[in-house]
Amino acid sequence: MAATKVRAFSPEFAQAFKEEINKSQVYKQAGKGWKWTVGLVVEAEPDKNVPDSHGVFLDLFDGEARDIKMVSPDEAKKCDFVITAPYSRWKQVMRKELDPTKGMMQGKLKLKGDLPTIVRYTRASQEMTECTTRIPVDFPDED
Amino acid sequence: MLGGLIEANVKARADRRSDFESLKARVGIRVEDIDESITLEFKGGSLAVSNGLKRNRDLTIRTDADTVMTLSNLAIGPFGMPIYVDGVGRTVVQRLLTGKLKIDGMLTHVPTLNKVTRVFSVR
Repeated sequence: MAATKVRAFSPEFAQAFKEEINKSQVYKQAGKGWKWTVGLVVEAEPDKNVPDSHGVFLDLFDGEARDIKMVSPDEAKKCDFVITAPYSRWKQVMRKELDPTKGMMQGKLKLKGDLPTIVRYTRASQEMTECTTRIPVDFPDED
Repeated sequence: MLGGLIEANVKARADRRSDFESLKARVGIRVEDIDESITLEFKGGSLAVSNGLKRNRDLTIRTDADTVMTLSNLAIGPFGMPIYVDGVGRTVVQRLLTGKLKIDGMLTHVPTLNKVTRVFSVR
């Protein structure tokens, strides 16, 4: 039986994301020592059925996701690290069509925060991306 | 991004700052899988970053994006020497041996390469 899909960037998506991260032994290891909040800003693309921007707040601590929830974009921007991209770029990341490391190097994903810290945790951020690819997602532009 | 990484490293760490201030070299980085190249021109305390590969480079690193991140994670050991015997170091050596990482000028500019590695390293 196919797993139930969750709407991209909904509270259910945030919950599924948290569960996937906490299931990952790779993340548990790679995220050891991480103690900063991360905000993802998903910029609106009205032509893709995403009329409003969204924010995802990630409270990650020492290899564990303590909380992941949907917030306003302004709230997400207050996090220690903020990654911003339009909706369709995030969709590419979640579909493994865009590697986040390459995306950041190319400026397709804009990062705000201490670069040396995030580079130290490259493996953890790659695994977080892997976690999103394991969530069955229903994308709003595919309605 | 790489310019920003060096800037943050140099600001945060005195040992990296002294390397940066004494480093004079033109270093090219070609990131094959995103088809992008930059030239970093270290001028003894300042850095100019430009798109593309400029001529007369001392070192040219040709690799993929993931390996650039791996190089930034090389640990620095006693006497400022990069450590090639831990997990990250072994990955770098393996990629050198398999041709996934190529460093033109490596053999003739060893001290410069070590300095560049240190200003890049977040470890």
